[in-house]
Amino acid sequence: MLDCMRRRRLQAFALAIAAALSAAPTSLARAAEVPQERLQLCGTCHGENGNSKMEKMPSLAGQPELFLTNQLILFRERLRKSEAMEPFAKGLTDAEILALAAHYAKLTPEPSPEPVDQALAARGAELARKMFCGSCHLPDYVGREQMPRLARQRIDYTIESLIAYRAGTRYGVDTSMNGVMYEVSDQDIRALAHFLATVR
Amino acid sequence: MQSVRFSAPKLAAGIGLGALLAATAAFELQAQTPPPPAWKQGMPPSMADSKLAPHASPMTVTPLDKIQLSKLKVPAGFKVEVWAHGMPGARMMARGDKGTLFIGTRVIGKVYAVTDKDGKREHKVIAEGLQQPNGIAFKSGNLYVIAIDKALRFDGIEDKLDAPQPTDISEAIKLPPSTHHNWKFAAIGPDNKLYISIGSPCNVCEINTGMHGLIRRQNLDGSNIEIVARGVRNSVGFDWHPQTKELWFTDNGRDWAGDAGPEEELNRVAANNVGGFFGFPYCHANGIPDPDIKRPNACAGVTLPAATLGPHAAALGMRFYTGNMFPAAEYKNNAIIARRGSWNRTKKFGYDVVLAKINGAKATITPFMTGFLDPQTDAFWGRPVDVMQMPDGAMLVSDEQNGAIYRVSYTGKVASQ
Repeated sequence: MLDCMRRRRLQAFALAIAAALSAAPTSLARAAEVPQERLQLCGTCHGENGNSKMEKMPSLAGQPELFLTNQLILFRERLRKSEAMEPFAKGLTDAEILALAAHYAKLTPEPSPEPVDQALAARGAELARKMFCGSCHLPDYVGREQMPRLARQRIDYTIESLIAYRAGTRYGVDTSMNGVMYEVSDQDIRALAHFLATVR
Repeated sequence: MQSVRFSAPKLAAGIGLGALLAATAAFELQAQTPPPPAWKQGMPPSMADSKLAPHASPMTVTPLDKIQLSKLKVPAGFKVEVWAHGMPGARMMARGDKGTLFIGTRVIGKVYAVTDKDGKREHKVIAEGLQQPNGIAFKSGNLYVIAIDKALRFDGIEDKLDAPQPTDISEAIKLPPSTHHNWKFAAIGPDNKLYISIGSPCNVCEINTGMHGLIRRQNLDGSNIEIVARGVRNSVGFDWHPQTKELWFTDNGRDWAGDAGPEEELNRVAANNVGGFFGFPYCHANGIPDPDIKRPNACAGVTLPAATLGPHAAALGMRFYTGNMFPAAEYKNNAIIARRGSWNRTKKFGYDVVLAKINGAKATITPFMTGFLDPQTDAFWGRPVDVMQMPDGAMLVSDEQNGAIYRVSYTGKVASQ
């Protein structure tokens, strides 16, 4: 969870930028490229090259295009709830979303700057194998189609996501991940996140 | 007939409550091997490395020029056109008395309304933010929308498309609290009752037969719930035979039991078999015992299908043809069935619309509309989900992949090449 002050700051910031953007006289109906100001805006939290340095903010670099597209639509339709993302996703057109997804899918994922617990990561590797994470997310965890890249994702974000799937407060385009996370312990979630962050 | 009871549900495997339990208690739980996700249950160890996974339909608008209409093939004398488009995730259809076409969706959570003015179609979003509003039914001016966790009634909807006013009827309708296979198919029968299918909350598992894996009916005010068919894995389409008034339904076979099947089913609920048992989870297709969920005499007492509908084909929406446009000998009182297409199969299958010629208690299946799948490259571009007859006798076909509705009509003329 974001702490209260940070959340409020972020919200105020988001609202201001979103207002500025909607007032900007840009014609984005069929944008093949994302305008610079929007990329700067996304980069504030997700990192300017799509590799996040901010606590609990996911890296977007190298995520599958369909996954990014779907998540932005889920935010826009308020089917995935996030106070931080809501003002940005509100009113995005399909064309704008497709352009954003294409942009971030092409960027190169870098390792997270977070410290990795190697013992936990080793246990996470074993768990990931037992849980067949690789059969959907592929054996090198780079993701495909609607299934996200897990390799090099931020540890704190992966933990938060897996807890949300377990709690049923987050869904994908189907409920597969809610089933996967059924009764997985907090300790196992931490182990998975430490392992996945280290996958090259 | 048997009443549905909700007092003592066997819910341990249900994702909804399971997730809740997990959220409150998991911190203290010992590490254990978690069960696989519902769609992966029953996967044999030999397939553990399989990369097969469900295909997600796009949630973005497919532009008209990206719809590959020219690839579609229909029998001689028929033609296909794009009737409406730009509605991501378009699935189940219901038609209002004044001609509005209502369309349900799954993940994008919207219900669309298409109006037809002077040959031009326009669509509006009349509901959004719902959890998989796949169940759509219309009766006496009112639209019923059945989502996973909610049932809504839109009274006099066709006069209020710009300001829809739904009434939440969830409490009266009584939906079970699980998620997987719980997007509903809904229709109102010739007996003026609301029929809803409720799938099994898994790929294959023992189920509470009073709650899951069934088709049920109830009065439009929600009262008097009765089970019409039991042992149904997941039905996403049914209709009533125009002459016998018997219910016929499609049902999807289990996954992870190989490329050959067990095949999907077309079933008939005979007048003397209301509440009958259709086999899940013990007995599939034309009498195949389940390799995992076993009981002695697996197929004893099971009503076998009128026809099988192909391995992993995802046979969904179906309607009997009662119009006068299509050649009567071939089509009248026969069923047209959309097959969304396979994911749990190494070579894709389905992705088409078929004709089921009914002969008493049995049916034979022939192709009707193909070309969504290229068998050479194993690539698909469209996924038909539902069919709906128009007053002029043309059939509409919904395509979830492209958010489009096609109109199939019969001209009797063979187009020259």
